This record gives sequence, structure tokens and C-alpha cells, in this order.
Amino acid sequence: VSLQGVSRRQLLWSLGGGLGGIALAQLLGDDGLLGSERALNANGSGLHHPARARRVIQLFMNGGMSQMDTFDYKPLLERHHGRPFNPGTRERVEAVTSTPGNVLGNPFPFRRHGQSGRWVSSVFPHLARYVDEMAFLMSVASKTNVHGPASYMMNTGFMLPGFPCLGAWLSYGLGNLSDNLPTFVVLPDPRGTPYNNLGNFSSGFLPVQHAGTVLRLSSPNSIASLYPPRSATHITPQSETEGLALLREMNRAHLERTPGDSRLESRIASYELAARMQVSAPEALDLAGETEATRRLYGLGQAPTDAFAKSCLTARRLIERGVRFVQVWSGAGGPTGNWDNHTSIVRELPPKAAQVDQPTAALLQDLKQRGLMKDTLVVFSTEFGRQPFSQGSEGRDHNGGTSVAWLAGAGIKGGTAYGASDEWGWRAVDPLYCYDLHATVLHLLGIDHERLTYRHNGTNRRLTDVHGHVIHDILA
Amino acid sequence: MRRWFALSLLFLSAAACARLDAGAQNAAEPWWSLRPVVKPALPPADKRFPDWSASPIDRFVLRQMLAKGLEPAPPADRTTLIRRVYFDLIGLPPTPEDIDGFLKDPSPDAYEKIVDRLLAGPRFGERWARHWMDVIHFAETHGHDQDVPRDHAWPYRDYLIRSFNTDKPYGRFVLEQIAGDVLFPDDPTVIPALGFLAAGPWDESSLRDIREDTFDRKAAQYLDRDDMIGTVSYAFLSTTVQCARCHDHKFDPIAQEEYYGLQAVFAGVDRANRPFDPDPQVHARRLRLVEQRSTLMSNSHAAAKLIDDAAVAAWEKSQGTNIWKVLDPDVFTSAGGAAPVKLADGSIRFGGKRPDKDSYTIEAASDLPVITAVRLEVQSDETLPHGGPGRQDNGNLHLSEFKVEAAASGKRRPLALARAFADFNQAGWEIDKAIDGKLLTAWGIYPEVGKTHVAVFVLKEPLKTAAGQRLIFTLQQQHGGGHLIGRPRLSATGEDPTSTIRPLPAKVKEIVAKPAAQRSEAEKLELARHILLSRVEAELATLPPPQLVYAAAHDFKPEGSFAPTKGCRPIHMLRRGDIKRPGAAATPGALACVPGLEATFKLSRPDDEGERRAALARWISRPNNPLTWRSVANRLWHHHFGRGIVSTPSDFGRMGAKPTHPELLDWLAATLLEEGGSLKKLHRRIVTSAAYRQASRHHAEYAKIDADNSYLWRMNRSRLDAETLRDAVLQISGKLDLTMGGPSVKHFVEGPGIHRTPKVDYLAFDPDSPGAHRRSVYRFVFRTVPDPFMDALDCPDASQFTAVRSSSMTALQALALLNDPFMVRMSEHFAKRVAASGNLEMQVRQAYRLALGREPTEREGAALVSYATRHGTANACRLLLNCNEFVFVP
Repeated sequence: VSLQGVSRRQLLWSLGGGLGGIALAQLLGDDGLLGSERALNANGSGLHHPARARRVIQLFMNGGMSQMDTFDYKPLLERHHGRPFNPGTRERVEAVTSTPGNVLGNPFPFRRHGQSGRWVSSVFPHLARYVDEMAFLMSVASKTNVHGPASYMMNTGFMLPGFPCLGAWLSYGLGNLSDNLPTFVVLPDPRGTPYNNLGNFSSGFLPVQHAGTVLRLSSPNSIASLYPPRSATHITPQSETEGLALLREMNRAHLERTPGDSRLESRIASYELAARMQVSAPEALDLAGETEATRRLYGLGQAPTDAFAKSCLTARRLIERGVRFVQVWSGAGGPTGNWDNHTSIVRELPPKAAQVDQPTAALLQDLKQRGLMKDTLVVFSTEFGRQPFSQGSEGRDHNGGTSVAWLAGAGIKGGTAYGASDEWGWRAVDPLYCYDLHATVLHLLGIDHERLTYRHNGTNRRLTDVHGHVIHDILA
Repeated sequence: MRRWFALSLLFLSAAACARLDAGAQNAAEPWWSLRPVVKPALPPADKRFPDWSASPIDRFVLRQMLAKGLEPAPPADRTTLIRRVYFDLIGLPPTPEDIDGFLKDPSPDAYEKIVDRLLAGPRFGERWARHWMDVIHFAETHGHDQDVPRDHAWPYRDYLIRSFNTDKPYGRFVLEQIAGDVLFPDDPTVIPALGFLAAGPWDESSLRDIREDTFDRKAAQYLDRDDMIGTVSYAFLSTTVQCARCHDHKFDPIAQEEYYGLQAVFAGVDRANRPFDPDPQVHARRLRLVEQRSTLMSNSHAAAKLIDDAAVAAWEKSQGTNIWKVLDPDVFTSAGGAAPVKLADGSIRFGGKRPDKDSYTIEAASDLPVITAVRLEVQSDETLPHGGPGRQDNGNLHLSEFKVEAAASGKRRPLALARAFADFNQAGWEIDKAIDGKLLTAWGIYPEVGKTHVAVFVLKEPLKTAAGQRLIFTLQQQHGGGHLIGRPRLSATGEDPTSTIRPLPAKVKEIVAKPAAQRSEAEKLELARHILLSRVEAELATLPPPQLVYAAAHDFKPEGSFAPTKGCRPIHMLRRGDIKRPGAAATPGALACVPGLEATFKLSRPDDEGERRAALARWISRPNNPLTWRSVANRLWHHHFGRGIVSTPSDFGRMGAKPTHPELLDWLAATLLEEGGSLKKLHRRIVTSAAYRQASRHHAEYAKIDADNSYLWRMNRSRLDAETLRDAVLQISGKLDLTMGGPSVKHFVEGPGIHRTPKVDYLAFDPDSPGAHRRSVYRFVFRTVPDPFMDALDCPDASQFTAVRSSSMTALQALALLNDPFMVRMSEHFAKRVAASGNLEMQVRQAYRLALGREPTEREGAALVSYATRHGTANACRLLLNCNEFVFVP
């Protein structure tokens, strides 16, 4: 239930405006709120300080990508391979789904790459070419070793369901860049949604309109209810055009009888936005216009890259058209077919890496070529890392102790790395958490993470709870 | 970079959290919400506003309004009023007949009659149960990565509807939901109330699947109790107790102790399917039998008093008759490739290759005229590891599913099994798991290896055997790891199996083998105990199977390593919330900040978890707990007016809003207490007030003074919430199905998922499916895969406590109302319904009356007729269901 009266703010939010617009508009006493909000962001200003980035693409590796087999080179593991794991600290060694086995050396060759000389294993040959664009976070820890709570944590900052995720906070804080498309879009793996399903994209206690809009690229109805069901033959383009005109007339007449409630106007406007979205969304999702070179670059239409290539290319098209935040997922929930390589790192990791390697590298190159990299931030992350000791003969169990993430694009100092894990890749030496990653992302978007708050049940809630430090060392 | 939290820091502290009692204990004036509720004196009547003097509510509202320079709006017209009160009290619009009746009723209490009728009807509880479900984040799946449906959560929803409809006194409502099982042990109908504590999410991976000995498991248990604390404190106390869970220098140490004191209250409960007998007589019988059983189990001396030697002798005689007939198998196969060999005693030894999993098929003819039960012996054998009876290295076996089919003259039919009993059950692997239809669960015997074990399966209906009757047994063993049966033997009986339902344990067999005179006293007692236990079991088996409710439970069937705790789990204060840094042991208690209430519990049996919950329930429901009574009074006000007197209904702390009408709130709370906690009486007082009956008209000058309408110079207009909108559409389309209660209706097509969470497809669901026309309170709410249609209408995240729903007007919402299959289908039904009204003008007129409760103007009618002529009535009806006048309650 809501109220009339306070509805200037309501009007803005309901139409997709964010805090930035409201704050500024109220400051200037400006009534053209949405316009000023957009101008504000176009000029690179942010909510609290000048923004370096206007939009974000996050690539999420679902299942817990092994750090020591990809970006975190640990020669010690090879030397101790097959011997009992003894890290020499007082902390008990445990694994959540198995009995800790012996040390498992990384099976893939590592090589230094780029000017920065980053170590990358052979599973990411394409990404290795872009290490000078990337800033690596080498010590991202989690507070749990279990997928569900860890995925919630990396997305919302809390281990429990019911909290707003990064994308929802951005939608709430910054609002939209386009009236014609949603502000926050999620592209799940075509095999299915990740652990926690849509819980990772929830708006939590924020107004529901800030939740992620999930686009199922493999489905003919990629956005729920964008069009009427096919069976409804009485609904035609003509019935809709005339119908919306008549609806507007009815609502206008009602508004005249019941003045002074801007929510009524807001609802009238929402139907006009809906009509525009019906045109914009299919255009944004249609890859037919992409050149053959681009298709090849991403690996579209080829095994094993096709699905992730489609998501990455769609993500680029969406941010080009004003979507603020696109989250692309690799891997669905469940025991296999994702980055959760319990059984065999040797057999399970390379095919998974091959699915994302080329499309991700292509996305970086494409954004750069189109000049989008200067105001688009790319984030590559996972929910936790994996253990330096074996599960069974050659698998690895979950490890909240450390993992690797990287950022590239707007405001990022490429070719850098921050933080480190111990010599085993077991624990972060000086752990970073989701809070620090989120604080840094918000910072680049012009938001002070300590000031983006929403009062809920007695607490001024933040994405970063009471934690978080902007990692200035990786900023350009 | 500075790091000021430990790696394994469990809880996510919220420094910004307000402590209700911060400084309040010492200050002269406690925080407003903690002051005792005192019924304030009524403001004098104001002669200028005669309609505003009868109800005490109006006097309070008017006084503050006038003080702000505002005056009330005129009363709403009758059409508006009836629409408002219908949506508000029952969540459905009035029918055209209801409206006509009201318009024509000349009696002065025409409105009050409607209010009384709505409060007395069954629709009322459905509407208000849904509000409560928001507050306590009730949904029917677990909400974490294993988002498993809870098939038995719904009895709690029915409990709520029943409670609101019968106007259960609020104090009793509180008691039942926290400790109904303890406080009202003779009333089984309160067991579903405990669904309250289990309403929130549950982390199956961390609490069931991962290793028991990990920090992650223990941390998850603390978080699970934290959710219960949140549910209780937000819902009943409007207090944010969860804020005190971490050490923080801003909070004093006692505050953290209080939080862990609440953790200790819930130290003995988990969330699980809890059996109960809705019939009080069955409940009483079961209670007696279970008590007998536990007495016998714990104290064999008790048996001596209950049975004499003659009875023992009689029992022995009956045992002497062997009722079992060993079957002689002629077909026996192993799907996994083991080599079966039949032995002289009729058993089959499965040797050779030991597959990971296996399924045995054993067939035998039977010449018994009737079969009532079958018996499976898993025999010990020296060729098996540790002597068996299993083939696993440790001698164990896991029987996933046991099936029997009857085959006669070429036709096979499965025989339903009513119950199963075994002489021994491995913890978490009980015999009933072999007949639960799930391959993931199984019967096991570890650590009782090296012995023969026996399981008896009772048929649901006796099988009258035909000539050439054959029995086909399937023994599925799908757990893996070679957990296979080594040497099974099968028997059947036509006798009443209840007398021998408990196969003789090895120890008892030895005793029986001795002549009576040679038995020691201890052996005699053991035998007597066995006989008595058999009788208890036999009688228990005659009771109807209990119902289940997903609820807080102290005792439940274990699932793997998720098992009931014995007594209470030890709760420690966690330094900085760090699971690896436990401090002092916590003692159960409540909050110290409420003046006049003792926060420390005096428990006669401090280790009894039920007593702990009962103490907290009593503490909350006491008439002098000001939080409890203000909280509920404010919640009612919130729903009636669209905003509470305190606009943060679950937070009466320093970070929450202050009451706009503090005296009115106290008057409401005090009146509620005086009237025995009757919510219906309070509802009636509120909706019959002049404040409620005002028009929602705009006033430019007043809007400048009080834009939020905090002082109620008019009624608030509110947008229909998701459930009300959906229910209204169903009613208007003539499709509303008013069936009450029972399992929830899934508005999606469910298929097998990748892992434990099923695949959920809302778009494939037919809006005319069976049950789909029932009210939305009976909708199955799937936590992590919400219904996009309901989502678009601001249905909140069901994992979060929601005291106030948001109310958006987005493009996605417009698309949902225009294009969702439900809306499209219902507008077709709506069109068919009005088709009988006559010509197109008449149809449009009837559609207006049904959807908007009024006749169209000439112009409106003409425009819609013209549209309907070109595009059909279904489209015209769809427009009516999309217009602002329908979506907003005046």
C-alpha cells in the first residue's frame, strides 16, 4: 500500500529514476527530474563524487573457480604434490564435503604474460593476452565454504537470503540510463539459474522494481509478458495501439476527477514506457545485425563458446543501449556443468574455461574498439576458490579462504594485482571480501558505499554492511 | 589496508543498528515504545464536528488535525465506502448486488451491518493471514541453493486463517506460535502454529549436506536460530534484536548477552516436518502410548509392574507358533551384475562382482490363501565383510526401496505397503525410508554388523491369493559405495502381523531360547519390556497416520546428518560474532529493556528446551509488555489506513519512526487488552470511525501543510496489492473458487531440476488449471523463483520480513497487467460472463459495474462500445482491468 502526496519521489522511482536524480532535483528545485538525472550521469558526475564508470558488466563464474589452476600460480603445490597438506599454522584443516586429501599440484602449465608479467595457466589462452588491461584481486575471501550462502554473499554482501544485490543497489542509487530498457539485466547460463536461483538478483527489502530483469536468451519469451500469449488471437497490433490510446483517455479522465495524486500520472506514463520497451527490447537482443567478424571474435555459433558468446555480445548491446548493469553467468546450480570441480580439475576445468575464455577476451576487445571501455567497468568473479589439497584423487573442494577476481575498463589501472594468498593458495594473507569489491565498484560509479543506505527494520542498510574499503591501488 | 574482522567472522554486524535501550535505562524517560501502555483520557468532543465525537479514535485524530490547521474531509460516498471496506477487510471487491443493497438500505447502521458481515465471514481470515505471512516471511521452499519445496508448510497458513476467523485472542495467538506444544499439550490443533518459527529460509546445504564437524555447520546453526529470533522480535515486539548479535564497541556487553540469551531459547529446536494428530482423541492416545514407550525404553524396571509371569508365558506360547512361511524363490537376479546363488534355507547369497549400486529382483510362488505381510531377513554370512549382513567393507547395507508386486495369470500389480518395522535401524537410516518412494533415502543397520537383521512390511490391504499366485520383490540399493545386501531371505504370512510386528531382537531371542527358570532377573525384565513394547507398537500401528506440518521441532526424523539435538545445543557468546572464538555460555532470557518485566527466566528445568520457549512466549504475551500490544494495534492501523501510526511497523526503536498519534496508539493498545485481545473488535472500531470513512479528496492547501497526510485530513488512496488484484480479477471474471485450506496451489509447471531444486516454469502454466482460480493466499510461494506476475505487482522477496510493501508503477508491471497469460485468459472469461447481459451497450455497462462498481457515463460507454466493436469484448474487458480506477482503492 502506498500513499499519495509524497509521490514526487515515488514517481521518480516508479519510473526508474534513482537517488541521484532525486537528490539533485530536490537541491535544484527542478521539476524535470528524469532529464536532469540523465544529464548528470552523462556528464560523468556521480551520486557522491564524479563517476569514472557509467555502467558495469559482471561475469560471474558459478561454482567456485579454482584460483590455483587459473590465475594464482603456486609452485609450492607442485613440489609437495601427493604429500599430506600441512600449512604449518594452528588452524584446523577441514573441507566441507570431504576428508582433506594430499596436496594436489596444479596440472596445467603456467606462463607469464604481457608487460605486467602476470602468471596465467594454459586454460585461459585468450584472456592471457589481456592481462595488461586487468587489475587482479588475488585474495578475495568468503565467510563460508558453502555455495548458497557464498553466492548470496558475493552478490548481496550477506550470507542469508532477502538482501538486495549489487545491481539492485545500483538501480536504486543511480536509476536508469534509458527509459526503454530495464536498468539491471541478468543473463543466466542457458542450462539454468545459479545456486539460489533468482535469489542472487533480488531487490531484497528495496522496492521490487530494482530486482534484476532476467533475460532467457534461449527462450522465445526472453522477457516475461513483453507480448501477449500467441493463443490470444484477438490481441493485435491495432487492438493494442487503439487500446492504449483509450486507456490513456480513461485514465486522464479519472485523473481529472481525482487530482493531486502523481502516482496516477506515474501509472499513465508506465504504459507509454511499456510500449516503447516492446520495441526496444527485441532490437537490443537481436544479434542478426552483428558483423561476421564480430561473431567470429566472440566465438558465436561455435562449440564450446556459443552460449557464453551470445551472453557477452548481448551484454555489450544492452549497455550500449543504456542498461546500467548486466550480470552474465557461467554455469548453473547443481553438482556438475559449472566451476564446482569436485571430481577432477584435470577433466572438468579446461572445458569450462574454454567456454568463457574467448568470449570474455572478445568482450574486452570489442568494448575497447567501440570506445565503450572508458566508461564501462568489467568485473570477473566467483563465489569462492578451491582447496590446495585433493578431494578424491584429483578434485578440489570448496575454499572460502581465497579466490581471484579481476576488473577491467573504466577507472581501472590495468596490469596490476592487489593482495596475495599464502604460498599454498589456501588462505588470503590479508583478505579482501565482497565488501571491498563492492565498495570499489560503487566508488567508480560515483557512489560512496557508506552513504548509499536504505532504512529497513531499524537499520540503515548498506550493500557493504559495516565493512568495505575502496581498493585505491587498482584505480587509474 | 586495515582489516578489522576475522577471516571466519560469522555475523554481519550492523553498527548503524539502534539499540532500543541505549541509554534508556538511566535516562529519566524511557524510549516511547518502552513506556507502559496507559489508557489516555479522551479529548473533549468538538461541537463543530459532530460526526467526529462518537468514536474515541476520531477525537484523537481530530484534535491533532485541528492543531495542525487541518480539517477533515467530507464522508466518502457509499459506492466508494463499500468498495474500500470490502477490499480492506476481505481483499475482494463488492459485487454489483452488494453495492445495490447498500445503496438501497435506509437503516442508519447500514454500513455497520456490512462491516459485521465481513468480519464474520470466512474471507476475512484469508485476507489478514496474508498480511501476517508477509510480516514473518512465510514461504513454502527453503530459499537457499537447495530451494526444496516444503510440502507440509500449508497447515500453518490454515492455522492463521482459522485464528483470524475465530478471533483468537492475541495473547493466545502469541503463546501458540512460540510454544503451543509446551503450553497447551492437550490441544493438538496448536501444533501447526509452530510453523511460525519455521517460516523463514533454511540452509539445507550447510545444515544437512556438508560435514557435521565443520565450522560452517555450526555457523549455519547460529544463523538458523538468528532467523527465528528475527521472526519473533520483528513480528511480536517490533524490535530489531538481531542488531545485537555482534560484538561492537557501540553496544554494551549486556546487550549482546541478551541476544545470545534469545539464541539459547531456541537451542533445542530445528525446522522439520512435525507429525501431529488433528483429532484430540487420537492425539491423547498417541501421547499415552509414546510416553509408555519412552518409560519402557529408559527404565526396564517399569516393565515389571505392568506385566505378570502368566502374561509372559502366554506371549511365549503365541510366539512359538511360527506365522512366517519362507518363500522358495525360483527367479533371482542382480541388475548390477552380482552372482546370486540360492541356499538350502531359501536365502540367496549375492557373490561375485560387487557393483557400486544394485537392484535385486526375486520371484517366488506362494500358496498362502491370503497375505497380510512380508518379511525380509538380511542374513549374516561369514563370506561377507565383518560377517555382513551387507557387502560394504564395513558390513553395512542400504536398502533404498523395497517393493512387492503380485503377479497372477500374466498380470502384475504393485502392492501398497502400509508400514515397515525393523529389529534395528541405523541412525538417520530408518526402515520407513525403504518405503518412502525416495531413492536418496534408505534403511541401514550400521554399526550392528555381523548379525542377521529383520524387517517386516505390512500390506495396506490383505492380498487374496489366486491360484498360481506369484510375488515379485524388488530390492533397490541405490546409495552407492557397495552398500548392498549379502544374503536376503523372504517370507510371507497370512496372520495378523501386529502381534509379531517387532521382530525379535537378538538379545530377546537368546532369552526366549532359555527355559524360563534359568532366566536371570535382568533377562526377565528385558523380556517383559520387549513384550510390552510390542504391544505399544501394535496399538500405535492401529492409529491413523499423523498429519505433518513444517514447523519448529525438537524431535523429528533425521535426514542424513541433520538430526534432532538431544536436549539443547550449547550456546556461547561469540566474540565479534566469530564462530571460532566462543565466549561464555549463554543462558536463556529475554530483553532487559522492558520496564516491569523480568528478563531472566526462572526455569524449573533449565535444560528443557520447551520450558525456554514457553518462558519467552509468556514474557511476550504479558499484558504489561508494551511492545507487544502497541505492535499489533499499529499493524491493524497500518493496513486500514495504508500507513501505521508508527510508519515502521516492525521497528519501534530509535531508528524507526515515532508515532504520529502516540495517545491514539496507546488507546488502541489499551482497548485491545481490555477487550480480551479481540482483534475483530479493534478492526470494527477502526473501520467504523469517521477518519476511515472520509473521502480521499485532494486539498491543495492541506497538502502544503501535511503532504504525507500524516494527520489524516483525508483517506489515503492505495494501490491494490498483488494478491488482492489477482483475486479481484478472478471474482470479476466469474471464476473465483472459494475452496478453503489444504495444500497450496502451484502456479507453475514443476519438473525435475539439476539438483534438489525443481525446475519451475510459470509461463507454461495454464491459468485455468485445477485450483488456479482459488484465492491467492493459497498460492505456493517459491522463495528463489518468484512468480513474475506477482513480482511485477510488488510481491516482496519472501526471504525478507516485510511489514510494508512497496507499491511501484513500472513498465514491467504494465506489461504484466496487459499480457500475462492470467490477465489475458481472465479477460476472456470476463467477456463471456457479460455476454449474457444483452447487446454491446449492455455488456459494457455490466462490465463497468463488475470491475469498477459503477455505471459508465454515456461518453465512457460509447468509447468502450466502439472499441469492443472493432477488437472484441475480451480486449475491452482487459482495458477495464488495466485502468487506474480499478487498480487504486478509493
